[in-house]
Amino acid sequence: MPKQIICLVKFVPNVDGYQYDYERNVLIRENVRMIINPDDACALSLALQLQKNEPDTQVEIVSMGPLSVLPLVRDLLRRGVKRATLLSDKRFVGSDTYVTSRIIARYLSTISYDLIVSGSHSMDGDTAHVPAQIAELLQLEQMSNVKRVETENNAEGYLFFEVESEGDRSRYRIELPALLSLSRDSPYKLPFVRYTDLKLEVDDRITIITNDQLGIPNEELGLKGSLTKVVETYPKTLEEKQRIVVTNDDQGIETVYQFLKERGFV
Amino acid sequence: MKAQQILEQLKGMLAANQINIDPDALYDAAADRYKKYAKAKKVLDVPPPTAIVYPNSVEEVKSLLQFCNQNGINVIPRSGKTATEGGLENWKTETLVIDGKNLNKIINIDTYNMQATVQAGVPLQALEDQLRPLGYTTGHSPQSKPVAQFGGLVATRSIGQFSTLYGGIEDMVVGLECVFPDGHIARIKNVPRRAGGPDIRHIVIGNEGTLCYITEVTVKIFKVFPENNRFYGYLVRDIDTGIKVLREVMVNGYRPSVARTYSEEDARQHFYHFHKGKCVLLFMAEGQKDIAEATGRAIEAAVEKHKEGILEQVDSQLISDWFDHLNWSQQDIDDEFQGMIDNDKHDGYTTEISADWENIPKIYHSVINRIRAEFPRAEDLTMLGGHSSHSYINGTNMYFVYNYNINCAPEDEMRIYHHPLQKIIVEEALKFGGSMCHHHGIGKFRNEWTTQEHGSAHYMLEKLKQAFDPNDIMNFGTIFFKEEGAKFQK
Repeated sequence: MPKQIICLVKFVPNVDGYQYDYERNVLIRENVRMIINPDDACALSLALQLQKNEPDTQVEIVSMGPLSVLPLVRDLLRRGVKRATLLSDKRFVGSDTYVTSRIIARYLSTISYDLIVSGSHSMDGDTAHVPAQIAELLQLEQMSNVKRVETENNAEGYLFFEVESEGDRSRYRIELPALLSLSRDSPYKLPFVRYTDLKLEVDDRITIITNDQLGIPNEELGLKGSLTKVVETYPKTLEEKQRIVVTNDDQGIETVYQFLKERGFV
Repeated sequence: MKAQQILEQLKGMLAANQINIDPDALYDAAADRYKKYAKAKKVLDVPPPTAIVYPNSVEEVKSLLQFCNQNGINVIPRSGKTATEGGLENWKTETLVIDGKNLNKIINIDTYNMQATVQAGVPLQALEDQLRPLGYTTGHSPQSKPVAQFGGLVATRSIGQFSTLYGGIEDMVVGLECVFPDGHIARIKNVPRRAGGPDIRHIVIGNEGTLCYITEVTVKIFKVFPENNRFYGYLVRDIDTGIKVLREVMVNGYRPSVARTYSEEDARQHFYHFHKGKCVLLFMAEGQKDIAEATGRAIEAAVEKHKEGILEQVDSQLISDWFDHLNWSQQDIDDEFQGMIDNDKHDGYTTEISADWENIPKIYHSVINRIRAEFPRAEDLTMLGGHSSHSYINGTNMYFVYNYNINCAPEDEMRIYHHPLQKIIVEEALKFGGSMCHHHGIGKFRNEWTTQEHGSAHYMLEKLKQAFDPNDIMNFGTIFFKEEGAKFQK
């Protein structure tokens, strides 16, 4: 089983928490919190499960973002992550997926690992470019939409895992080191911070890396280094929830019962 | 004395079917509804009791208590098992849970003298079912009525939904029988009133199993006239208006059986079919026809006096229907338990306090403001509100109600959510001179404030404990703070 696991983590605005003002036809962005990207949370959950199964396993998270995400990084350390590296530099701002991949890959090329895990998609960008590009830059095998990784019966240096694609589930074996990208539909759930660890001091386990350490030419970073440009952005389309009026009869009761059943209330 | 020795000794005192050491039953007996989520998730941090025993007579209760008293074994008296504040939680390695379920005889229903005598394990519903066909009621109707038993009701100073007319259980108990740790059986006779020294019923009522074991209770019964019931419901501008109308009715000397007002948030979860996002005020008047009518007129007059805060009247049938579905049954409890296992969520918690008319609105707003400003997990709250549901001539109660998304391990939920919320409520109630618990009892999780609750009168509680339970075997940690138990609280 892998002993050094890197988990790539992105912190994103909780766009599912946006509310829509149907009268003014605008998104209400106030009070929207930053969260760990849900696909990445599944990847980290898998990594922590592997670490729990094999206590000498070390999980390190690697994230790129502003220093304002540090509280979220600390939260993940309190959940059991051993180390965190934040790639943070004003020169990184505006980088497209390719430049982002180069920055992260440059850092990863300086450390050792047996396995890299990440999410497949991010909530905010959703291009799914970054994991595959990092794998290419590092000359690793990579697979997206991973649903489950087997924690037993793996031969030394290999992992079995399952991928779901267009309704079919396939089982693969991959040689390590490799990069596996999980989907949010996988069964892995992030553990909670325990009560006794809520205020645990973890800053000594955080490393902040700037481009001074990575040494990428400035002109290859940020907006000016990015070969792709965003042509247009548009908010997720939200429709007002359908209002259903039922009468007090068998059909109405059945409708309400099915509604509650689908949501786990009965 | 170790567990095996205790069990050996018990075999000489009781029949085999009176001793329960089934692991699932012992796990269930280790905690009550205070730690319901951790319990459902099988991660309780407290030890299971050594055994649950079911005495068949007061003599067997006497033998069991003497045995425990002589050997320093903790005793948790249990009857009904609906406790919500940790009163049934076990903090000792060697503990006997003495369950009253076999003390289940209705001894006498005396309609001439208007009283009924039951053993402690008689379910309240069982007595009520006997009384109703005769045209009588106990007048006691807590939400737990289908499950609760008399021993538990009396031990916790229970109150029911019709308390504003009938009173709390302390107003209903006319006499009782109980057993003290040294084996002394005390019978308090049934008289309408007496001036024979202090009212010793109140040493027993509300003792929460910390002084004695209740084996028999005699309660008042009342004639019931359901055909005269009158229901009143209103949407009101704010909870302050609701409290003012409640006060108006009470201070004018009227006794509606139900007098309640709900915050917007609490109204939303109770009255989804008519709340319109507003606070709700409701009453029920009952009794003889002329009394019910007079009470109804008083309610209407009080509403008229405060009409600037009354938004609209609600169809009284809606209030009547709501009352018919208010109680929770064993099935409801079981469903919530399964829901916690399957869906990682529960039906929320409540903390009930009381204060005089002047201070109750202050406490309400202070609590809500403090929780919103100070509670570290405020963003997880899915519901925060409250209602007043038991009123008196000098004040009322406030039932704070809250629920939240549980974003923590099940074993941490109490410490991260329920206890910090309860702490704010208790602190504000005490700060404004109110009581930190109106009708659930202190249990084990409000015991850190017992001395503050009673102030200089705590001396009397301490002396009672020393006198009746000198070996400290009765329900360790309930009512009285214990440093040894703090690890299960904080």
